[in-house]
Amino acid sequence: MINFKINGRSVTAERGETIINVARREDIYIPTMCYIEKTSPCASCRLCSVEVEGHDGFILSCNTPPTEGINVITDSESLETERTNIMRMYDVNHPLECGVCDKSGECDLQNKTLEFNVGQQHFSAKDQPRKIENWGLINYDPSLCILCEKCTHVCNEVIGDDALDLLFGGYNSKVIPKNADTLDCTFCGECIAVCPVGALVSSDFQYSANSWELSKIPATCAHCSAGCALEYEVKHAGIDSPGEESIYRVTNNFEYATLCGAGRFGFDFANTASKDEAAFSAAVAALQNAKAIRFSSMISNEETMILNGLKAKLGLKLFNEDARQMKTFMDAYASVSGKQHYSATLETLKDSDGIIVVGSRIATDNPGVRYAMTTAARHNGAKVVYMHPLEDTLLQNTVTQFVKYEVGTEEGVLALLAQTLIVDQELTKREQAFLDGLDEGYLSAETNVGDDELALLVKQFMRSKSKTLVVGSDILAHERTENIAMLVAMIEKYSDFSVLVVPTQINSLGVSLIADLDEDVATENVVGYNAKGSFVISALGEGDLDVPALNQQEGTVVSIDKRLLPTNVALSFEGYTLNDLANALGVNAENTIDYTVELPVESGFKAVAFDDLENFYSAKGDDLRGYALSTVTAKRGGHPEEVAELPEFNGAVIYHVNPVLQFNAFTAKTTQLENDNNLYGSASFAAAARLSDGDEAVFEVAGETVRRIFKLDDTLKGTVALHPTFDLGLNVTSGYRFEQVNFMRESK
Amino acid sequence: MSKVFFSTWRGESINNVDKADDAWEESAYNLPEQYNEHSSSKAFIGWDGVALFDSEVDVVRLATEYAAQYQVYSEACGRCAPGRWGGRILYDLMDKIARGEGTMQDMDHLKEVSRTMQTTSKCESGKTVPTPRLDLMEHFEADFVRCIDEQKPSKHYDESVNYIAKITAPCTDACPAHVDIPGYIEGVRDLRFDDSLKATRQTMPLAHTCGRVCPHPCEDECRRTNLDEPISIMALKRLGADYETDHGFGFFHPEEKKPDTGKKVAVIGAGPAGLTTAYYLALEGIHCDVFEELPVLGGEVAVGVPEYRMPIDKYNQDIEAVRDLGVNFIVNAKVTADKMREYEKEYDAVMVATGTRISKKVRCNNERPEIDGYWSAIEMLDQVNLWEKYGIGEEVDLTGKTVVCVGGGFTSMDVVRCSIRANAKKVYMIYRRDEKTIIRNTTYEEYHEAVEEGVEFLFHSAVEEMVDENDVLKSLKINKFELVPDPDGGRAQLVKIEGADYSIDSDFLIPAVSQSADLDLLPEEWDIEMTSWATIKTNGKDYMTSRKGIFASGDCEYGPMTIVNAVGQAKRAASVMARYVQNGGEITLSDDEIMEDHLRRMKVYDKKEKITGWLPGLPREHSEVVGVEERKFNNLEVNLGFTQEQALSEADRCMRCYYIAMVAY
Ligand SMILES: Cc1cc2nc3c(=O)[nH]c(=O)nc-3n(C[C@H](O)[C@H](O)[C@H](O)COP(=O)(O)OP(=O)(O)OC[C@H]3O[C@@H](n4cnc5c(N)ncnc54)[C@H](O)[C@@H]3O)c2cc1C
Ligand code: SF4
Ligand code: SF4
Ligand code: SF4
Ligand code: SF4
Ligand code: SF4
Ligand code: FES
Repeated sequence: MINFKINGRSVTAERGETIINVARREDIYIPTMCYIEKTSPCASCRLCSVEVEGHDGFILSCNTPPTEGINVITDSESLETERTNIMRMYDVNHPLECGVCDKSGECDLQNKTLEFNVGQQHFSAKDQPRKIENWGLINYDPSLCILCEKCTHVCNEVIGDDALDLLFGGYNSKVIPKNADTLDCTFCGECIAVCPVGALVSSDFQYSANSWELSKIPATCAHCSAGCALEYEVKHAGIDSPGEESIYRVTNNFEYATLCGAGRFGFDFANTASKDEAAFSAAVAALQNAKAIRFSSMISNEETMILNGLKAKLGLKLFNEDARQMKTFMDAYASVSGKQHYSATLETLKDSDGIIVVGSRIATDNPGVRYAMTTAARHNGAKVVYMHPLEDTLLQNTVTQFVKYEVGTEEGVLALLAQTLIVDQELTKREQAFLDGLDEGYLSAETNVGDDELALLVKQFMRSKSKTLVVGSDILAHERTENIAMLVAMIEKYSDFSVLVVPTQINSLGVSLIADLDEDVATENVVGYNAKGSFVISALGEGDLDVPALNQQEGTVVSIDKRLLPTNVALSFEGYTLNDLANALGVNAENTIDYTVELPVESGFKAVAFDDLENFYSAKGDDLRGYALSTVTAKRGGHPEEVAELPEFNGAVIYHVNPVLQFNAFTAKTTQLENDNNLYGSASFAAAARLSDGDEAVFEVAGETVRRIFKLDDTLKGTVALHPTFDLGLNVTSGYRFEQVNFMRESK
Repeated sequence: MSKVFFSTWRGESINNVDKADDAWEESAYNLPEQYNEHSSSKAFIGWDGVALFDSEVDVVRLATEYAAQYQVYSEACGRCAPGRWGGRILYDLMDKIARGEGTMQDMDHLKEVSRTMQTTSKCESGKTVPTPRLDLMEHFEADFVRCIDEQKPSKHYDESVNYIAKITAPCTDACPAHVDIPGYIEGVRDLRFDDSLKATRQTMPLAHTCGRVCPHPCEDECRRTNLDEPISIMALKRLGADYETDHGFGFFHPEEKKPDTGKKVAVIGAGPAGLTTAYYLALEGIHCDVFEELPVLGGEVAVGVPEYRMPIDKYNQDIEAVRDLGVNFIVNAKVTADKMREYEKEYDAVMVATGTRISKKVRCNNERPEIDGYWSAIEMLDQVNLWEKYGIGEEVDLTGKTVVCVGGGFTSMDVVRCSIRANAKKVYMIYRRDEKTIIRNTTYEEYHEAVEEGVEFLFHSAVEEMVDENDVLKSLKINKFELVPDPDGGRAQLVKIEGADYSIDSDFLIPAVSQSADLDLLPEEWDIEMTSWATIKTNGKDYMTSRKGIFASGDCEYGPMTIVNAVGQAKRAASVMARYVQNGGEITLSDDEIMEDHLRRMKVYDKKEKITGWLPGLPREHSEVVGVEERKFNNLEVNLGFTQEQALSEADRCMRCYYIAMVAY
């Protein structure tokens, strides 16, 4: 703790805080052009210079920690003069095209130019023409770029792509794709978000609207369980185009929160419909006759409550395998840990300096987790051990050890981890007996995880102080998920690892905590709610009755952080909703969000009404959206049973995993996101599956025939191919993500 | 001392404008009066002033060119707003005046932009670039005003003059390998560890090694010392190297390897000097065969420096980076004079980098190598390291033995600490001088760690005689000395204390006083010139020996020194050799190298400089060290290096003291 003064006011700084951190915390203004909270200081603008009493010269506040007893002066005549001169320099040759610039109205340069009252261009220098670059979803205009370096910092330190570089050339400096001719990245668009001027813009949005014409609707991203905060920017119906409102773009509070490209560019998945009486009556009838409702987890908590109501009212079953797996896993976990919820959050993951990821192709499964890991790796030097059957090049600069295990052997891997990570602990007799009874030789041989790898893993964490075990959906959907969950809970209980489970879908966790689910067995008369069924109610616009998509509803979801997050209506929906159907069937509520306050407190929800939920980040970066679920204690008494015989997957295996930015049928529907649905495999996969590059591979998934073009990918190894599922519509599987399949080859 | 016409360098104010030639007042500094053997300089201009050697210099043009050079360098930079745009505006304004198109308002703008740059730029090059120009504008205002009033170009505006500039920094200048220290520290600060490593590898291929065991002379000339404490420069080098290794990236080289030139060079010895020579020649597209006598690569860092200081897996990474460029290594290949004669014909040039691998004698009575128990430091450490690191040979087990080492430098520290690890009963270090000197010759940490581990230091002592029984060492007779101040105020003298002799029973005497070079491989008829201390002689600039095409670097040239010294010499030599083999055998230095030598002679670091614009009192970070009980009997790396948090706060202390110097000739 360091005590010092800013402008005479006494303040204190924690270790690691800079002068500007403290100033911001204390609401003391220091002008900046290159400051961004979530990265290391760019230190390029020099506007944040301050004076310190008794010391000559200016001191940069963004990268200088205070020392005991100093008095910092944030404003003085000489500071004002030099800051003004810097702004004059920024304005040298900055093209006067604010009229057409996308950033106009929210441009930092425009704002600061006004603030410092810089009139005409005071200084001048020779200029040269510069070419606007088109990089796919992103356009870059070097003549607008002020070289603040925010984009390069965020891409490297938060995203992890490290795809941007500064080409240093003094006055000719510009941003370029790093080590490449054109930008080849995961297109999160975060660089656009942080760009203080109009240099980096969305190519889709460019010139389409002025920022002041758009209204911002705070919402929660509907695509994955990270539950990122975003704002849909909507242009409402104009006088000339009544009824035609649409989302123009998505923005975010980039200072603290981060979006992936699916959230940012994949916003046009809304459903359109009018009130179709006939379809509505058919739906009511279908529900009355139904034996079960099958639904996906791309649904709000409130809708789930309605489905519970329908179950009670109509005596039908509720099928949702993905949420049921989540529940099975969490219940088994709770039986050992004594608490219903896992301990870690994305925020604690960011602060970790030791991470193990097991059972997920995490970079694409959940970009939010990836960004937290990137942040931890860069800022804390976190050691990251990635355990999976497939290596992922996207994670190379984050991962410090890759441990490959055999497909299907996750239970063995977790048993080995438990044995390795639990040292010198007082276990119960039964637990001790379990660990002692493990047949290491067998486990090691079958999983293919060697002693030396585990020894290296331990060495990696030698100096780590804050560790997290991340468990992904390969494990949630595993046959032995219960036993694995108990092993995970043991690790958490008896080591210094905390646990983060990655829910498979946007609201798998919420649904698992609310819905009264039944095992999905082939049944006649199933009504599908955004899922397969004999009668389909769908927000995708292709079912028997249309309902609103998640960006057309008020409601809440539960994110990976075990946090209830509200979302709002970005675009209106004219047709019927699930609540209308429920009302017709005697499950009565005026609005869907009337259910928010009734969410089950025994699962950790709070009796807070929807309208009382906050939905923003504080000025200091605290996530104040919704609320964190309360801790729920559970009855202990679970014990892992003996590790079952580990399965073997031979021959050609496919892994259900989506390409970057694709998640499901909703992202598949959007226009900006790339739709690459090829099957990618290595040469050894090709040999095992008898496929060659360019062949059409025909095989069965969940009883349906799938056709994919096969592409050889030399970054892959082994006999597992990557199989996308986002475009399979409602026909997605929910089983273990690796499948052995037989290919019917049809050469082109 | 230099003869100048005018100088404001380092605050001096010498103005011989109206004085007769022989009445000129001299500058107190070693300014580069003579650019190279062919040309004398007209002017020198740099971060701390300007010196004119000639009354005819066109100061307006000089100031313009200096601004232009900053442009060029900020071209390579552009990392801050005032530097990037200010530099451009400065140059445009200066050139406008020099062309004869300027106005008095331009002069005001110049001053204004200068002030903003001086107070707000990110690095010293931006902060100091206006300094000498403001000096010129003050002392030669008339010249500037004349250009404006008459709207005429400055007096030699169109004349062709050579302007040679170089960017440096105090630490970079002091580093024998001239590593771009502010550059690699910036990479750490920006969390761009690949860039950090690339900056290091521009002149220093052994990043893991010099991030661990370099005696860091750079830190003695770190400008931050003037404010509080020097930056922990050495330790920050580890981050880039670890990043590359931890993530299994291939190797980040500073630039792409040039296409094959068809030329080839033989390198004798695979120590730091040999490795460095090969690395930079390979980058230039020149094939290298490296011949090494030992079964392992790496020279003394492999077989001298112990595992607990320099883990071999890390050193091997550095060596693999060299191999990655296609360098060919041949081990178990002792080069003889015959081979040398062959290689001279077969190869376009030969580098001798054979080190100093003969331990010198203690010079005591009865010092006979055949006595059982007399064990040279180099041989002892060879055996320890070959076994511990490679499993070659035999383990050194000193259980129950008493070991006496005579030394005081790095090598002797390794001997005593390895003896502890080999389970010796008792380990003594005998040193003629005192504790303070031993710390100065090694490091505080090293000395302190040895004491912690149980080594007993006997200061002001020297071995007088080895006492043996049938050629088996039994004990040592030791003389005791004291420091007697010279009554005339000269250096204190070590004087033997009569009657204070004592004896120590001991099983081993390990001389580790110094080493000499084994140069039997040099054919006698070549008659290669030697230094008075029996190493190969070169001019210390281009590293060619007295025989054309035969070069020498590292310890065999300098005498036992440091890794970084070997690297620095070899880097320079490789650059000279690359030109030599391609331009028909001419020895040349590049302008950059000439400037490098000038600057080193002048010394960039000024310990009297008062530093402004930085907050003093931010403490230097210290990395964590494994506890003594945990490390004493094994090879665990003792120094764990910085945590990320420490590294980042240490990097933030660095003031980016880049400076630009320029000579006109
Ligand atoms: C015990 C010890 C500890 C040290 N610790 C440090 C330290 O902490 N920091 C530091 O900076 N410096 C240290 N030094 C000094 C440093 O190791 C040397 O300065 C450096 O290794 C010199 O490099 P070089 O390439 O010139 O020679 P060397 O490293 O000695 O390499 C010369 C190589 O040439 C080979 N060779 C010799 N003759 C022939 C031949 N005829 N044919 C083929 N090959 C031949 C040798 O086998 C050897 O491998 C230490 C030295 C010793 C001995
Ligand atoms: S879109 Fe994202 S990944 Fe691509 S360059 Fe921008 S910040 Fe980096
Ligand atoms: S593109 Fe934008 S964010 Fe990147 S350096 Fe330029 S102005 Fe800054
Ligand atoms: S898809 Fe996931 S990571 Fe991407 S913006 Fe949406 S919630 Fe965030
Ligand atoms: S050289 Fe230094 S002062 Fe100049 S632009 Fe770069 S960081 Fe700024
Ligand atoms: S502060 Fe940094 S740049 Fe300056 S001398 Fe020290 S290490 Fe070098
Ligand atoms: S905020 Fe400190 S330099 Fe820009």
